[in-house]
Amino acid sequence: MNTSSNDKQITDDLMPQKFSKSGMIWVGILSTICVIGAYAYYRQLRYGLGVTSMRDYVSWGIYISNFVFFVAISLVGSLITAIFRLANVAWSTPLTRIAEIIAVSAITFASLIIIVDMGRPERLYNLFAHGRLQSPIAWDVIVITTYLFISLFLLYVPLLPDLKIMNQQKNKNSAWQNKIYIFLGSFWKGNSEQVKISDKIINILCIMIIPVAFCIHTVTSWLFATTYRPGWDSTNFGAYFISGAFLVGAGGVIVAMYVFRKHYHLEKYITELHFEKMGRIAVMLSLIYLYFNINEYLVPAFKMKKSEAAHLAELFTGEFSIMFWFAIMVGMIIPIFIMLFKKGRKPLPMFITGIMIVVGAWFKRYLIVTPTLLHPFLPMQNVPDNYKHYFPSWEEWAITMGSLAGALLIVTFFVRIFPIIPIHETITEQNEKDHSK
Amino acid sequence: MNNNNNIPRRDFLLGGLLGTAALVEGCSEPKNPFAQDEVVLTGEKVKLLSVDGQIIEIDRAFLKPVPDVPHLSNAEERQGVAGKKFIMVIDLARCKNLKKCQSACNHMHQVHPGQNWIKVLGMEDADHTAPYWQPTTCMHCDEPPCVKVCPVDATFKRQDGIVLIDSDRCIGCRFCMAACPYSTRVFNWEEPVLTQEVAEQPYSCETSMPQKKGTVGKCDFCPDMTRKGELPHCVSACPNGVFMFGDLNEDSVTNGAETFRFSDLIKDRAGYRLMEDLGTKPSVYYLPPVNRNFPYEAGLENENSEETKK
Amino acid sequence: MKKIIQNRYLLLFFVFSSMLFANRSFAQEDAGQEIVKLHYYNSNNSIQYLILESTLKKNKVFTPQKDKTYQIYLDSAGTNLIAKVKTDAAGKGKAFLPPTLKKIWDASPQHTFIVKAGDEEIISDFIITKAKITIDTLNLDGIKSIVATVFKFENNTWTPAKDVEMKVGIQRHGGVLSAGDEETYTTDSTGSVTAEFKKLNLPGNQKGDITLVAKVEENEFFGNLAAQKSVKWGVPTKVDTHFFEQRTLWTTRFKTPYWLLFMAYSIIIGVWGTLIYLVRQVIKIKKLGS
Repeated sequence: MNTSSNDKQITDDLMPQKFSKSGMIWVGILSTICVIGAYAYYRQLRYGLGVTSMRDYVSWGIYISNFVFFVAISLVGSLITAIFRLANVAWSTPLTRIAEIIAVSAITFASLIIIVDMGRPERLYNLFAHGRLQSPIAWDVIVITTYLFISLFLLYVPLLPDLKIMNQQKNKNSAWQNKIYIFLGSFWKGNSEQVKISDKIINILCIMIIPVAFCIHTVTSWLFATTYRPGWDSTNFGAYFISGAFLVGAGGVIVAMYVFRKHYHLEKYITELHFEKMGRIAVMLSLIYLYFNINEYLVPAFKMKKSEAAHLAELFTGEFSIMFWFAIMVGMIIPIFIMLFKKGRKPLPMFITGIMIVVGAWFKRYLIVTPTLLHPFLPMQNVPDNYKHYFPSWEEWAITMGSLAGALLIVTFFVRIFPIIPIHETITEQNEKDHSK
Repeated sequence: MNNNNNIPRRDFLLGGLLGTAALVEGCSEPKNPFAQDEVVLTGEKVKLLSVDGQIIEIDRAFLKPVPDVPHLSNAEERQGVAGKKFIMVIDLARCKNLKKCQSACNHMHQVHPGQNWIKVLGMEDADHTAPYWQPTTCMHCDEPPCVKVCPVDATFKRQDGIVLIDSDRCIGCRFCMAACPYSTRVFNWEEPVLTQEVAEQPYSCETSMPQKKGTVGKCDFCPDMTRKGELPHCVSACPNGVFMFGDLNEDSVTNGAETFRFSDLIKDRAGYRLMEDLGTKPSVYYLPPVNRNFPYEAGLENENSEETKK
Repeated sequence: MKKIIQNRYLLLFFVFSSMLFANRSFAQEDAGQEIVKLHYYNSNNSIQYLILESTLKKNKVFTPQKDKTYQIYLDSAGTNLIAKVKTDAAGKGKAFLPPTLKKIWDASPQHTFIVKAGDEEIISDFIITKAKITIDTLNLDGIKSIVATVFKFENNTWTPAKDVEMKVGIQRHGGVLSAGDEETYTTDSTGSVTAEFKKLNLPGNQKGDITLVAKVEENEFFGNLAAQKSVKWGVPTKVDTHFFEQRTLWTTRFKTPYWLLFMAYSIIIGVWGTLIYLVRQVIKIKKLGS
């Protein structure tokens, strides 16, 4: 009797809720940003990539750094879901779906933004008609598709028991919601045979997603590391990208945790303990990323090869120094100091730290792409003046912001339709806890 | 004069010589790109007068200053000319930064205003080393980093060593631009500015024209000219004979006026290639700027002061 | 500091004044100046032809004139028409001497070519003396030489022409590689040049053939004369297809290295095979539910 009322309480707490007034404003703002981005993209299609500030030297700009950012943040799906599940970390249950939906929306927009960057997007089919396996881009296309598929899979299968719960409460949902639930999960009865198979699927996916996630970051880093350019020509790049991705992904989850907890009053489910634990993990990830950063910058700076010297000087003390030290301090060092203290691992400071990590990481990606391109081997001469500098045009900003808003919209709508914290798993765990008492 | 035997053969010989820049191999090997079947014969004979007053017949095709070569398919353009290995030698001792190469190239390929396929760089390797002018073209590397990274075979290396771009295939990802250590590639950021005549002609990888919005362009060693046995536009445009072009398999390079045995020239003048340590194996060789024809300063007047050495 | 500023003003002054002058000269040249050049060619002593080159000089820039028509006459304008030529995209037109002019051609050792555009006579002083060039080889004590001789038509016979500058060498892509150390040779009193063949071990074609050439270029009396001869003095070259046939990272998608194909496909098949298996498991769940 006590258990079932408990179950009902959990179900009621975690059911997807209609947008509140602030939710509507949030969706409105994000949609507006997306529409502006879409208009900017229309202009880009019409007038060519000339509307951007990219030119022959800086031939990759914030589109690519934004792409790298999206790819990086998508790694969180495999971290929270797969690694924790395989390691039997029970407290991660409320976080898995947050992590997975962030991964899915980020990787979706990563693939969209790379199409935006193409000069001839209508020739995308050439990748399949004339695809060439020697090119790291081909590897990236393959691995991103695979990762998106696995992430969707890993989002969907654990959702099945919750869909059954949703289907049982038809009267509480709008008609269109019920249609979705029936379409996706009416076949789930929750009998032992189904559970057995679904557990097997989830286990296999969790094992598989880890190497695939490592691949997507490594291959993305190879888009840079397979060239000769100073700042990119590094054997450290794969590990550097993976560690950075883990960190920004964890930061993203921390921010999302705080927002959902506050907005949907989930204090009972996303507890201070979760922030405490995520804080410890984030410190470790920051330290690892810092370690790779030191490797990445100190080793070439020790030698100061001619080609690297100008690039490093620009980062350490030159045009990009403010952004560089901002990204290092705000993205790594300050978060480490905040989270090392117990007080720093409380929800609000963690939220601020999470934002710092994400923002720092975005600028870090910008610093990986642009300054290198401004330091070619041969001097920049015989070109118009605007070829020698880069600051994104309004179209680039609009499209980039639009893509970020779009990714947030996907998460927002997902939360509107599906329970962001797995109801079924929470109930099961609660009951297990009660029994053991 | 016996004209009855082997008339096409004779036509070829004569016709080849008739060209403004004759290139004839004396005998028609199957691999010779300029063998008779490479010229579109009309079959129609024209009678004409020889120097000693005799009357000779030739094919009407040779009436044109340069006989038409057959239209090439995309596959043939991607193959290149068999048995050739095109190379270039750039003599830094002769360069005065006149940029005639650049303007001829830009004009002939209708390169977008502001962009250049050939750049003449004012180089100074270190504080106390001598400055010099360095024209840079595409290096047409034998281990081309740009071709390695292309996901769709839009840029490719031909058997004659030339690295070309197929703008009908290019998706505009610009990975090749990031990969090229010589920064040789340019991108059509906007709709290219073309004359109507060029805009209407069908696209060819060999002429690289008409250029297309959203695709990559670069120096192409003028394969349309070399197929005709002529020299690239930059080579013929340079009044100082800086550029020398030729076939490594013939072991010779020429700037039109002078012809050198390539191996001797490289040995005598200590020729080198750019960024050898990267392992790209360029097809463009440089002769160091020693015993110069012009002082470095002579080239400054053609450079706007802001743009000189870095 | 002060000096620099002074210089700057001086520079400005020069810039402005030069702009003024430039403007004036531009104004004068605005219509452009048509430049027509005629070149006479005689190949292997049989076929002779003329190349007409038409360019427009405007604002110091030379551009080829396309689709312009010119009439070329032999000796007297108006009567002995050689050809009407229309220039191509490179501004060039080509004309052969028609058999109808045989009589006039045979009548004199020297001829004038006249170019007219419409009624306007553009070139009237282009005079060519009939000339021939022969090429032969010589092998004395193992030393190979090329002998080239120039003859001009004088007093009804072919007589040696001395002091003619020419190139003697091997035909290569776009130019003539000199047989010896000199770039050019000059004929002696017998009208001959003997050039020692010093370019030993030069690559020829697959059989080792190379083409020897003797060329007189833009001579003020004779125009362009050329003769050639194929000899087996070169080193036979093998066509190296290996370079293009190999499987490397830079070759096309049809020549992907086997190790890469193996790695890529084994990963793809492994991962997607598992994924397909998992999709089938979901279908199995679905079947169990309905």
